[in-house]
Amino acid sequence: MSFSWRKARTIAEREYLTTVRRKAFLFTVVGTPVLYAILMTLMIRPQMGDRARQMRDFRVLGVVDSSGVFAEAEKEIVGTVASDFSVLAAQVSKRDSFRVAVRALPDQTEGERALRAGEVSQLLVVPAGYLETGRLRRYAISTNIFSSQDERAVTGWVVRSLLRGRVDPQRVERVARPARGMELFTPDPRGAGGFEPHDERREMVDFLLPFAFGMLMGLCIVIGGQYLLQGVAEEKESRILESMLCTVNASELLAGKLFGLGAAGLTIVGAWIAMGALFGGPVLALAQVHVQSRILALAVVFFLLGYLFYGSIMTGIGAITNNMREAQQFAFLFTFMNFIPFYLMTSIVGRPDSGVALGLSLFPPMAPVAMMLRLSAPSSAVPAWQIALSIGLLAGAAWLALFVSARLFRIGLLMYGKTPTLPEILRWVRQS
Amino acid sequence: MLEVRDVVKTYDGRAVVNRVSFEVRPGEIFALLGPNGAGKTTLIRMITDILKPDSGTITLDGRPVGGGLKHEISYLPEERGLYRRVPVLDALAYYGRLRGLDARAARTEAGTLLERVGLEDWGMKQVQALSKGMQQKVQLCTALIGSPRLMILDEPFTGLDPLNVQLLEEVLRERRAAGVTVLLSTHQMNKVEEQCDRALMLNRGHMVLYGEVRDLKRRYADHALMVRAGRLPARVPGVRMVESVNGELKLTLEPDAKPRDVLRSLVEQGVELESFSHSVMPLEDIFIKVVREGLGLDHGQSGPPTADGLVEQGAGAKGTGR
Repeated sequence: MSFSWRKARTIAEREYLTTVRRKAFLFTVVGTPVLYAILMTLMIRPQMGDRARQMRDFRVLGVVDSSGVFAEAEKEIVGTVASDFSVLAAQVSKRDSFRVAVRALPDQTEGERALRAGEVSQLLVVPAGYLETGRLRRYAISTNIFSSQDERAVTGWVVRSLLRGRVDPQRVERVARPARGMELFTPDPRGAGGFEPHDERREMVDFLLPFAFGMLMGLCIVIGGQYLLQGVAEEKESRILESMLCTVNASELLAGKLFGLGAAGLTIVGAWIAMGALFGGPVLALAQVHVQSRILALAVVFFLLGYLFYGSIMTGIGAITNNMREAQQFAFLFTFMNFIPFYLMTSIVGRPDSGVALGLSLFPPMAPVAMMLRLSAPSSAVPAWQIALSIGLLAGAAWLALFVSARLFRIGLLMYGKTPTLPEILRWVRQS
Repeated sequence: MLEVRDVVKTYDGRAVVNRVSFEVRPGEIFALLGPNGAGKTTLIRMITDILKPDSGTITLDGRPVGGGLKHEISYLPEERGLYRRVPVLDALAYYGRLRGLDARAARTEAGTLLERVGLEDWGMKQVQALSKGMQQKVQLCTALIGSPRLMILDEPFTGLDPLNVQLLEEVLRERRAAGVTVLLSTHQMNKVEEQCDRALMLNRGHMVLYGEVRDLKRRYADHALMVRAGRLPARVPGVRMVESVNGELKLTLEPDAKPRDVLRSLVEQGVELESFSHSVMPLEDIFIKVVREGLGLDHGQSGPPTADGLVEQGAGAKGTGR
């Protein structure tokens, strides 16, 4: 069968331009990151605000002390709480100070009354045998499952009160927050051989970078694959393909679609990277992040192979199904497989050399995302043979998927009506 | 010239197209006929290289159709669609580019074709904004753009109003005059009689009729005369039955009677003849008769007749084209 690159290029050009000119494409490019930023803001900022609000509302701590241990305790708790978070900088951007008055109450009955009457925000009951048992009871009208800021404030007050007058004030402060000034040193990321102070922002980036790499890889593959699925299913449903196949052959059509719609997927990811660099670039620069060129080169290889693998599968599904709804149902399984590594992310990024991480990065459907997570993990040192084996297996699987898909594509495009069974599909592959 | 030689295609051991051979000459409008399931679509898909024959050859001007000839052939399938959310001009120009035109030439020709079918004001509108009839005209344009040498049209008249049927007929005549070969698959037999030079009929994958349309009609002419005349005598020598058909009298003749002798007898008996002609069976009746009787399978042969066999029986006039 002759193959015309000119025809394949014409098809690729049309597929690309038709896709990127759609309003839905623009919405995906701009809307998705904006939506993500809004969601993050809606999720994280209220949590920060809740903590600050919780401490602002925490005005009076009532104490019923039956042990007498807290007779000379401090009459006020003073501290600060994070109250805002910058999504783009991925860090706390503001802290609020708080003051909680401590009021002694004669007994638990009076304490509960005061709590119900709102005269105290919380009630701490110290039983007579506290020093021996260590048992305390705290009463509150409401609690916040996502914040233990109030508990930390009360704990600090208990520590300071226990030591007050027995230990010098400096030691009291050290005991209350023993590790506050502890600095963490980690190996120099530039490989100079020494250690340097660990940067929290960098730690955040170290966590986010593999996540972002894997997510971009997974999304790019899935978006390109979805475009293919949608394009083939729609063309089949609207009976365009038969007149097309008279003028071009199935291989030219398949190649044109793979190139054109893959480029559309890459355009989306490219736009996201550009937007990320624009808004997050200064933070990455501050954290002295420099992505290794080796990882970037491997990302391109894994993307191309991953896209070829999933794109071929999506094309095959589009060709054998009768409409978009049916195609989506089949495609879901494969889309899900691509994202499985994210569910095991803590295991992969935390221990990139573990058996789970190795297994996932060698299994072709999950290899692109899993290997990207491994390669960009902070403590990563993936052996070259594992990378080579992963690429080899993925390339083999991609070739097999393309081979089967091309055969299904050739026959399935002209089959209408009942969705074929697995034996029928296998027969098509053998016969075409 | 399109030449199909001994083409066979089987599915699950059943021959859907069985030893089919025919040729379509340049500048000819050729009808491909047959009942549903006869194998027409499979045959067309092999001619357009969408399917490969199990055996046999299909060539266009001596070259196999599967080679670099795809852009020389256009196909308007019976079930056809268009990209719905693109401007009409873009949708058409895309087909032009796939048939080898550069972008500018494709748009120019697309514009010319839209003008020809009266849709020049709709070029920038999305396809989905067009009525069904308009979309059909655009679909016809997809088969015309790029000046293919062979056009295959499957039921092109379906859904068109009389004006657009007339337009399509004009376009077909223009293409024929330009030397384009047209393969027309249709169930509208009146259109075949009006437009086509020759025809091939398939039934259950076999060739059952092949030849010039007028020869086919002559072959299936019933042994009768159509006359417009005054009162006929009670008995006319050589006439077995007289019946009235559409204001004329149909005289069915005895098997050994000659029309010339019957006419002479009528004149001698003083009958005033206004007009007379041979009774010709409409192609539609021939179609029904052939399909119902399974004529092609009832020749006392071991298998269906070949193209040569059909010609020998006088069904066609291979090599005697106009």
